Amino acid sequence: MAKHETPLLDQLESGPWPSFVSDLKQEAAARAKNEKKVEYQIPQDVVEDLLGVLELSYKDGTTHWKHGGIVGVFGYGGGVIGRYCDQPTMFPGVAHFHTIRVAQPSGKFYTTEYLRQLCDLWELRGSGLTNMHGATGDIILLGTTTPQIEEFFYELTHNMNQDLGGSGSNLRTPADCIGQARCEFACYDTQDLCHTLTNEYQDELHRPAFPYKFKFKFDGCPNCCVASIARSDMSFIGTWKDDIRIDQDAVQGYVKGEFKPNAGAHAGRDWGPFDIQKEVIGLCPTECMKYENGKLTIDNRECTRCMHCIKVMPRALKPGKEKGLSILVGAKAPILDGAQMGSLLVPFVKVDKENGYAEIKEVIEAIWDWWMEEGKNRERLGELIKRQGFQKLLEATNITPVPQHVQEPRTNPYIFWKEEEVEGGWERDVNEFRKHHLR
Amino acid sequence: MELAEAKEKIVDALTKKAKTKSKFYFNDLSEILELKPRDAKKLVNKLVEDEVLEYWSSGSTTMYGLKGAGKQAAAEHED
Amino acid sequence: MAFISSGYNPDKPMENRITDIGPRHFEEFYPEVIKKNKGKWLYHEILKPGVLVHVAESGDEVYTVRCGGARLMSVTHIREICEIADKHCDGHLRFTTRNNIEFMVDNKAKIDPLIKDLESRKFDGGSFKFPVGGTGAGITNIVHTQGWVHCHTPATDASGTVKATLDELFTDFQTMRMPAHLRISMACCLNMCGAVHCSDIAILGFHRKPPMVDHAYLDKMCEVPLAIAACPTAALKPKKIDLDGGTVNSIEVNKNRCMFCGNCYTMCPSLPLADKEGDGIVLMVGGKVSNRISAPKFSKVVVAYIPNETPRWPTMTAQIRNIVEAYAKDARKYERLGEWAERIGWERFFGKTGLEFTHHLIDDFRDPAYYTWRQTTNFKF
Repeated sequence: MAKHETPLLDQLESGPWPSFVSDLKQEAAARAKNEKKVEYQIPQDVVEDLLGVLELSYKDGTTHWKHGGIVGVFGYGGGVIGRYCDQPTMFPGVAHFHTIRVAQPSGKFYTTEYLRQLCDLWELRGSGLTNMHGATGDIILLGTTTPQIEEFFYELTHNMNQDLGGSGSNLRTPADCIGQARCEFACYDTQDLCHTLTNEYQDELHRPAFPYKFKFKFDGCPNCCVASIARSDMSFIGTWKDDIRIDQDAVQGYVKGEFKPNAGAHAGRDWGPFDIQKEVIGLCPTECMKYENGKLTIDNRECTRCMHCIKVMPRALKPGKEKGLSILVGAKAPILDGAQMGSLLVPFVKVDKENGYAEIKEVIEAIWDWWMEEGKNRERLGELIKRQGFQKLLEATNITPVPQHVQEPRTNPYIFWKEEEVEGGWERDVNEFRKHHLR
Repeated sequence: MELAEAKEKIVDALTKKAKTKSKFYFNDLSEILELKPRDAKKLVNKLVEDEVLEYWSSGSTTMYGLKGAGKQAAAEHED
Repeated sequence: MAFISSGYNPDKPMENRITDIGPRHFEEFYPEVIKKNKGKWLYHEILKPGVLVHVAESGDEVYTVRCGGARLMSVTHIREICEIADKHCDGHLRFTTRNNIEFMVDNKAKIDPLIKDLESRKFDGGSFKFPVGGTGAGITNIVHTQGWVHCHTPATDASGTVKATLDELFTDFQTMRMPAHLRISMACCLNMCGAVHCSDIAILGFHRKPPMVDHAYLDKMCEVPLAIAACPTAALKPKKIDLDGGTVNSIEVNKNRCMFCGNCYTMCPSLPLADKEGDGIVLMVGGKVSNRISAPKFSKVVVAYIPNETPRWPTMTAQIRNIVEAYAKDARKYERLGEWAERIGWERFFGKTGLEFTHHLIDDFRDPAYYTWRQTTNFKF
């Protein structure tokens, strides 16, 4: 028998999509039953009370959580978000209900052994409820009490060799796409770069000294499956410099209908027979492709690597061999001055694992030095770039301006010339001027 | 800068302002120390470890305060 | 229940402390076929909705079965996922960025038993535990935020709006009839910790009432300068208030400047803003993050307000269905929702979807607003 009546939430149990309400109820029942005789370290009926307070929100249309300032384990400035219920008497099980962020492994591959260990630990010391995963990428563990935070962290590090993720004004847990692990489009090893930089910058991740949050995301190609270009202060997007590789026989395979275009992604509707002119050549944004006499040609110098053709004919076309990544900076959600997409800073850099990604780290650290000194409190990198100008970013990173940096040159002539750029400097003798121009 | 000097400067400055506020941005601390952020960070980290300073977080932003100072700890019944 | 010590000594927090070890190394978790063929994949194909094959240079194949999942997940449910992975996938699995679960097998013959197993599992309430789908030109899982389950500033629930929407669009999770893939995202307040601003369709919670001020308690619970500094539009200022014969330090809200973000409530619980009638949903459309054919785009607001109709938000799901159908019917193959709207023109978008255009949809927030007005005589009647 449920502790609280939940007539509104119960209506979210029907329908085909997995019901979080059913799952919560299943967990509440499992804790009540406690077949494994777990010595729960937080209230056994925590999930019942979560259902209760959520039902109340569904009834009165408002949240019942308050924010708290608890930030983490000793010496860390992030990884835990304090959370308190504003109806603690009605729902004592969730009166204190703090969130823990656990740094996810790159690529989000798991073994069941690892997940089970994490489940056992979280069942003992927390609510047994999780998010797999949070928006930034972390494993999110929902709901525990203050005394359990250090105990949880001790077991997490000692028994699972696993650390917390980031929150607050620090480097947030970096995240990557599946990359070369299982994707033919990936132009570099996103998992290795993500993992290497995450470990390199542990101090930045755990001990906040930035003006605000800072996010890294790693996309293996311009398809941007982890949306790095829209939501990371530094976005690392795989690309290539040389020619798209063409297998003409496979092109014929698509033309003749032997292979499904776009890897079969459109199979749910009859779009008619595949038409290479209309679907590939005609949609190429730079018009750099031709299909004549049964042969596909690409003017690669004009290609901007949007990958439409490669996505439509993955068996026939592959990115070039000279691979690397582009770095875009300053993306963020709209709060406050409007959303910003990442702006191109480094058009191409080789992804060199052998030298520990030295060129990439150089750019990162130059940006941090600039932002830490010049950034206002709660100013994201993108906002600093807007406030001080793209030129300042180029100066800070010692990168030479190239036309690739802009969509178009400026439409106003209000150039802030520097004195050293102007012949003869700015100091002049007004008396000398007056010899030729009367007052 | 020596740790002892840093501690004195921080404790002095934060205590003076304690009447109006108890939480400060990292930038405020580097200004008090008159150091570049990266150099200030080393000392601030140590002051956290020595339990002189503690963190406070809004989830998105982190602030620093003297350990135990401020009103919210009491409001959360965590003290 | 007795306290169980982990070994941590609160009197000496630094004793035996392990820190800065980061996440576990990804290679520990790779299935064998992934480890062997990493970086050597030739091509992939979607065999049917939710089922992918990737073929490697070595000739090896990996078959992936993708299932939807609620991102709010219990340990009981995760253990069931583990049981499935042990039974079919040698104890390996992965999650996608969009909260799907992927089970991988190295042999075609293993697919059908796996799918059969997945599809046979249902919650007591009747919903699927592991619906297979979410591939290609369809609608995959909705990424979302915490909502009323766990957040202090939401203007709606996240899990509930997502469940209601995906129930409505479920057949499109399991089919691929769209002109291109269609990504839906949900964030429960305008701070968008879920960064939904580049989605084909974004569901966004929104407050419409400025915070109330709890004068009697504010000075006891909050620090006035911190609360004031938290306001991004400088709508708050300190004020002495006469209360019960005395004077208290408090805050005055310039209500016309408030953008309803709730940042002040984060710093000060005496400034609550949630409200049953004030809060609701904004719909935004036409964003994308891929660089395919056209550059990434931001989503645009097309519905300014839908009330929170718990528990199933029928007006919201009907509007979403309406947008999806107009797009599915009218867009060309490969065309994303935003590309379609731009090709036909936003005036046609409102015509074809039947959505009402109101003054709320015209940007008036700071600099970027001007660039969204029409500076040409080229428009459609």
